[in-house]
Amino acid sequence: MRKPSRKTVAVVAVVLLVLWGSFLVLINWAMRQPPETFGRVMMYVPMPAFFVLPFETLWNQARVGTVQVGDAAPEFRLPTLDHKEQVELSALRGKPVVLVFGSYT
Amino acid sequence: MAFYAVYILEAHPTDIWTMQSNVKDNVLFASPKNDQERENVANACVRKLGIKFPAIVDGFDNTTEKAYTGWPDRLYLISSDGKVLYKSKPGPFGFKPDQLEGAIKKLPEVRAGFTNVVSVSSEQGANIGFFGLQGTAYQSIMGW
Repeated sequence: MRKPSRKTVAVVAVVLLVLWGSFLVLINWAMRQPPETFGRVMMYVPMPAFFVLPFETLWNQARVGTVQVGDAAPEFRLPTLDHKEQVELSALRGKPVVLVFGSYT
Repeated sequence: MAFYAVYILEAHPTDIWTMQSNVKDNVLFASPKNDQERENVANACVRKLGIKFPAIVDGFDNTTEKAYTGWPDRLYLISSDGKVLYKSKPGPFGFKPDQLEGAIKKLPEVRAGFTNVVSVSSEQGANIGFFGLQGTAYQSIMGW
C-alpha cells in the first residue's frame, strides 16, 4: 500500500481538528443552555464522543453559577414533599443548613 | 442543623436523555408536565431511595435550581447566618459527599460539640440518581 503524501496527512489532520473544534463549540454551547436543551443535544451524542473532549472541565465552567462561597445564600420558600410545611431559608437562621439538590434519574 | 433534599427537575427523563444505567435499574420517568407530576416522581424518589431527611420540591419554574445552579445535582452548606460555606462543583463529577462532610466538621457548632456528627454507613440509594451515583458515601453522614 502506498504511503499517503504529506499533503494528504495535513488535510486529514486539519479536517479532524475542525470537526473536533466544532464539536467542542457545540457541546460548550449546549452546556450553557437550560437543562432540557442540553439534554436534547446530548441524547444524540454517542458516549465515546465524551472522551474526546475535556468534558468535566467544560461542565465545571458552564455550571459555575452565580452564587459563590461567602455569598448570601439565595432565599427560597418551598413546600415539603408531604405538604406539612413551607421551608423558608431565612427562617432557618441560627443553624447551619445542608441542601442536596438532585432528582431520581 | 437542618438537612434538606431539594428535588429539582429530572436529569435523565425518558423523553430527553435516558441513561443506560437508568434503563438497567428500571428508573424510567418521562419529564413531569406539571407540579403534581413532579411531586409524584419526587415521592417515588424519596420512597425508593429511602431518603430519611425532609425533601422540599422546587417549583415548576425551577427558580431555586436556577438560583443555586443545582442541576443535575449539587451540595451546599450554608452557615447559621445564611452565608454559603461550601458549594460543590456541579454533579455528577462534582457531587462529593466527603468534601461536604469535611466542611461540616469545620463548622464552629460541630467543633464545639453542639452538633453530633455520627457516621452511619448505608447501602440505600446505591447506583441510581440523586443520592445514587455517589450516594452511599453521602448517606454516611446523615446521623444528626
